[in-house]
Amino acid sequence: MKIVTCCKVVPNEEEIKVLPSRELSMEGASYKISQYDLNALESGKQLAAATAGTMTALSIGQTAVLESSKIRKDILSRGADDLSLVIDDGHAFSDSLETAKTIAEALKAIGDYDVVLCGMGSNDLYSQEVGVQVGTLLGLPTLNNVTAITASGDSVLTVERTLENEVETLEVTLPAVLSVSSEINVPAVPSMREIMKAGKKPVNELSITADITPSTEMTEQLAPEQQERRQEIIEGDNEEAVAALISFLKKEGF
Amino acid sequence: MAISSIFVVSDSTDVLTELCAGARSLANRVTAVVFSDEAGANALAGCGADSLFFCPTADAAPEDYASAIADEVKKESSAIVIVYNSIRGRQIAGKIGVYLDTAVLSSINEAEAADDKLFFRRVVYGGTAQRKEYFTKPYGVVTVGSGIFECNATGQTAASISPLTAAPQAGVKLVSRNEKTEGTVNLVAAKRIVDVGRGLAAEEDLAMCRSLAEALGGEVGCSRPVAENNKWMPKSSYLGITGVQVKPELLIALGVSGQVQHIGGINKSKVIVAINKDKAAPIFKNADFGLVGDMYKIVPALIEKL
Repeated sequence: MKIVTCCKVVPNEEEIKVLPSRELSMEGASYKISQYDLNALESGKQLAAATAGTMTALSIGQTAVLESSKIRKDILSRGADDLSLVIDDGHAFSDSLETAKTIAEALKAIGDYDVVLCGMGSNDLYSQEVGVQVGTLLGLPTLNNVTAITASGDSVLTVERTLENEVETLEVTLPAVLSVSSEINVPAVPSMREIMKAGKKPVNELSITADITPSTEMTEQLAPEQQERRQEIIEGDNEEAVAALISFLKKEGF
Repeated sequence: MAISSIFVVSDSTDVLTELCAGARSLANRVTAVVFSDEAGANALAGCGADSLFFCPTADAAPEDYASAIADEVKKESSAIVIVYNSIRGRQIAGKIGVYLDTAVLSSINEAEAADDKLFFRRVVYGGTAQRKEYFTKPYGVVTVGSGIFECNATGQTAASISPLTAAPQAGVKLVSRNEKTEGTVNLVAAKRIVDVGRGLAAEEDLAMCRSLAEALGGEVGCSRPVAENNKWMPKSSYLGITGVQVKPELLIALGVSGQVQHIGGINKSKVIVAINKDKAAPIFKNADFGLVGDMYKIVPALIEKL
């Protein structure tokens, strides 16, 4: 099977600085593969291995994010045979449809694929909608929160989809777009050999010409106001410390 | 200030009244879409919508109604679609968005009408910031969980109740449905929560945390690694921006370090107590009361005295 796995490169949220104005500064923040996309890459790697197939990784974003050879190598060390990039400084990719339309166009450029995999949501915006919107735009079968994938022949996958109170087992005819849950696997840490090989794998830049307009406009982005907490901190785990905790709870009416 | 039309789409009847009440405070006309047969829809007539569409699910999945819902929305010159933020809901929302050529703003935590528009807030960058946005197209789709809108029953009864027709998704065949075996707890409604982090040494020590929750009359939640890496607790019980967001009266964090992502799920708690061996753990900056010490000594002593 030919698999395309979408992965987003995002700023490391622990390194984003909050300015005194409560605005954010990305300056100095490193970039990483969005955490849940690691699950998608791992699923793609496993499915490619099970079906003697191949995996193309696909990422879209701005130059500042995708030019890093370190990030490219990181993506390619996780089972992909090659990497396709859409580098576009004209879009902020800040809404789900804008991102989904760009991915759909990139998939048309890639042309030949059986399965498109997405993670459950990105670390930065966490819409959890891009995979569903890509599948719907392309008129392909699409499912979210997939928790198991097995190939049943060349053109059918049996997938498990876990909802709040039930687990569905479904047969999906390919090509299809699936968003996998973070429960589906534990992403493997790339081996030294995989990291060495990653630098030699092909990277293709795709050019997309479609006219894609955003659906939303942002008017404000601010860090939440720091909730005032009393921070009465006591060091110790002896009887006295526990007694202090009990009296705090009593005082608060618990 | 209000917009003209909001559609409420919910695959859970529990939150329908709440979502309709929220929609009513933002729009002049509220249309609800429910997933049931006609009898079920009649029973929901008082949910607070002006009109009601029902989608029978005996032979179709709720997702299969996305295009029919979008067709009804398109009869309005502009509208916002509010979809309940369940897993199915998110798939329905994404599809409706494509059919209406618009994006989905997910898990919004505030909606406000001004200048004939709705402005939405949602958390971005794992809890680091709140983003305020509006739709620049005639239609917009948002997903919203429970607990965001005030649940004021409006007393409005639907003037019309009519069915929609499903368009089953080609290429997807349901083989079987099984009830999930793992229990689910309603942490959103819990008044007291014991929040367990990676400081817990072994799965069997959860018994101690459960005893504490029991002594307090509360529930047990956890941080993401406890559910996802250790798989000691169901995924539905992890607290955080990408998990459950809670607002209990009391939350006791045991061995929780306090990453941004996790704090985003617990910072609406009225009182936060933290117990952690690491004096430098960020959780203490977010706590009203903290003990720097061994939870294995403190918790049993605490249970005894409660």
